[in-house]
Amino acid sequence: MPANERTSSAIEMRGLSHRYDTDLVLRNVNLTIERGEIFGFLGHNGAGKTTAVNILTTLIKPTAGTASVCGFDVVSDRHEVTRCIGYLPADVRMYPHLTAAENLEFFAKLSGVADPRRAVAQTLDYLECADLAGRRVGSFSTGMRQRIGIAQAIVHQPAVLLLDEPTSGLDPLGVRQLRETIRRLNADHGMTVFMNTHQLSEVAKVCTTIGVLNHGELIYKDTIEATTERFPDENSLEDIYVRMDVAPP
Amino acid sequence: MIATVASQQIRSLKRQRVVWILIGTLLVMTLLAGVIGWSSHRTIIGVYDEAVKILTSKGRPAPANPFLVKPSLSLLSNMVIYITLIGALLALLLGHLTIADDQSGGVGRLIFTRAVTRTSYAIGKVVSVCVVLAAALVGCWAVSVMSLWVVNGGPASGRELERVAVFYAVSWLYLLIFSLVGMITVLATRRRSIGLLSAMGVWLVVTFVVPQFTSGLRPTASLNPIIDPVSTSQTFFRVTSRARPVSIVEQYKQVSGRVLETASAETTRQTIERLAPLATLVIVLVVLLIVMVRRHDFSGTADDE
Repeated sequence: MPANERTSSAIEMRGLSHRYDTDLVLRNVNLTIERGEIFGFLGHNGAGKTTAVNILTTLIKPTAGTASVCGFDVVSDRHEVTRCIGYLPADVRMYPHLTAAENLEFFAKLSGVADPRRAVAQTLDYLECADLAGRRVGSFSTGMRQRIGIAQAIVHQPAVLLLDEPTSGLDPLGVRQLRETIRRLNADHGMTVFMNTHQLSEVAKVCTTIGVLNHGELIYKDTIEATTERFPDENSLEDIYVRMDVAPP
Repeated sequence: MIATVASQQIRSLKRQRVVWILIGTLLVMTLLAGVIGWSSHRTIIGVYDEAVKILTSKGRPAPANPFLVKPSLSLLSNMVIYITLIGALLALLLGHLTIADDQSGGVGRLIFTRAVTRTSYAIGKVVSVCVVLAAALVGCWAVSVMSLWVVNGGPASGRELERVAVFYAVSWLYLLIFSLVGMITVLATRRRSIGLLSAMGVWLVVTFVVPQFTSGLRPTASLNPIIDPVSTSQTFFRVTSRARPVSIVEQYKQVSGRVLETASAETTRQTIERLAPLATLVIVLVVLLIVMVRRHDFSGTADDE
């Protein structure tokens, strides 16, 4: 697992800003996520969460500031960053005409995995979906696609897993399976998880730390325990989130 | 990484029915070209034999059959038209699918979070269409060789095999242009459907519109495998006809005509000069494709699928 020993943090953002034409979607975000954390990144639609993930995945370059994953800069050390991360987008799609195993082998090869076939078999076994290996992805339900999506994200055993709205379109059983998978990955492999989501109940159940983004600005970051202690009058994370949205702390 | 991207793309294209339908159509048309050539040849010979009988019965001498000296390769001349029509559509579609599937399906987002450079990705895609086009044309070559066997009543000579191979090699270069156009138009447009329509627009202009101006507005120029000299008295079209050296479809037809011995012979240097615009265009389009892939935002998906 590639890692830079100069830093103990998994993800760092320093003065991170991004602009689409005239629209400033990320404003001077400073954020540190330690290794082994399960971080829930909250914010309403258009708050800039996906833009932040796109920067961390090296898909886009920030217009100002820096971001690093495992100590590697997302712009200057792109190659090292891509070996550190696994990414699951909101609506994961793969080559529909190919089987799950063929798709996964392709992504394993792109990540430089030495024995792609073995890595795919191990990953599918770990996620308890080996029965999907020989089936074409085009015939999969949303839940099946999501499981294979997670498999592609972890097939190269990344240090950091970036999930963008991972529960989108999943039924309650799928949501529960995903939650268990995230916990297992974190416990078994010490994987750091960065999760963009609207599902506050899931955040409360699985995350160790949360951050709240409001119109591109990071207005809050703390552990789940500290957050509930800080807002003793609120019954749930949802109530806390609504209160923060009305009156940022 | 180039080999990984290319082999994955070839595997994906192999599983798509529409690709097989177009390749199958091209192979059937190749067979048809041989059948049509053979049939017309037999008809002409039959007419000549009837004419000889009539002349002999009247005691007049019959001239030698001019069609027997016609090269058997020329029977495949219709292939030039099928390549510019069906072959170009196949090439456009192959190019379109290689990029569109990644862009609108969102696979591109996943690919570029991996340790692959955009240049390697673009070259891998080009290699994949090169291989698929080559495979399709090897199939056409085999069908053409079988057709020649039937026409000649025996196996084709080594020289004929070589000439047919050269014809398909030139066709491969020509079709590669359209595959690259198919790729570039997907990257240049926001909607997948607009990308395909734009590529077809380029094909229509190259195949049907440009030759009208460079051949002196001869309506049948586009569907004629043999290019005639410009013969127009109109000043405008005499001027536009000077652009013929850069009209790739006409240069392709000229070179093909020479290879299949339907056009008048010319020097190797002249043939190379005719091929130069095609080769130059391929290089320019490959460079353009790489630049566009490097600049393209793969973080989202296309608007439609």
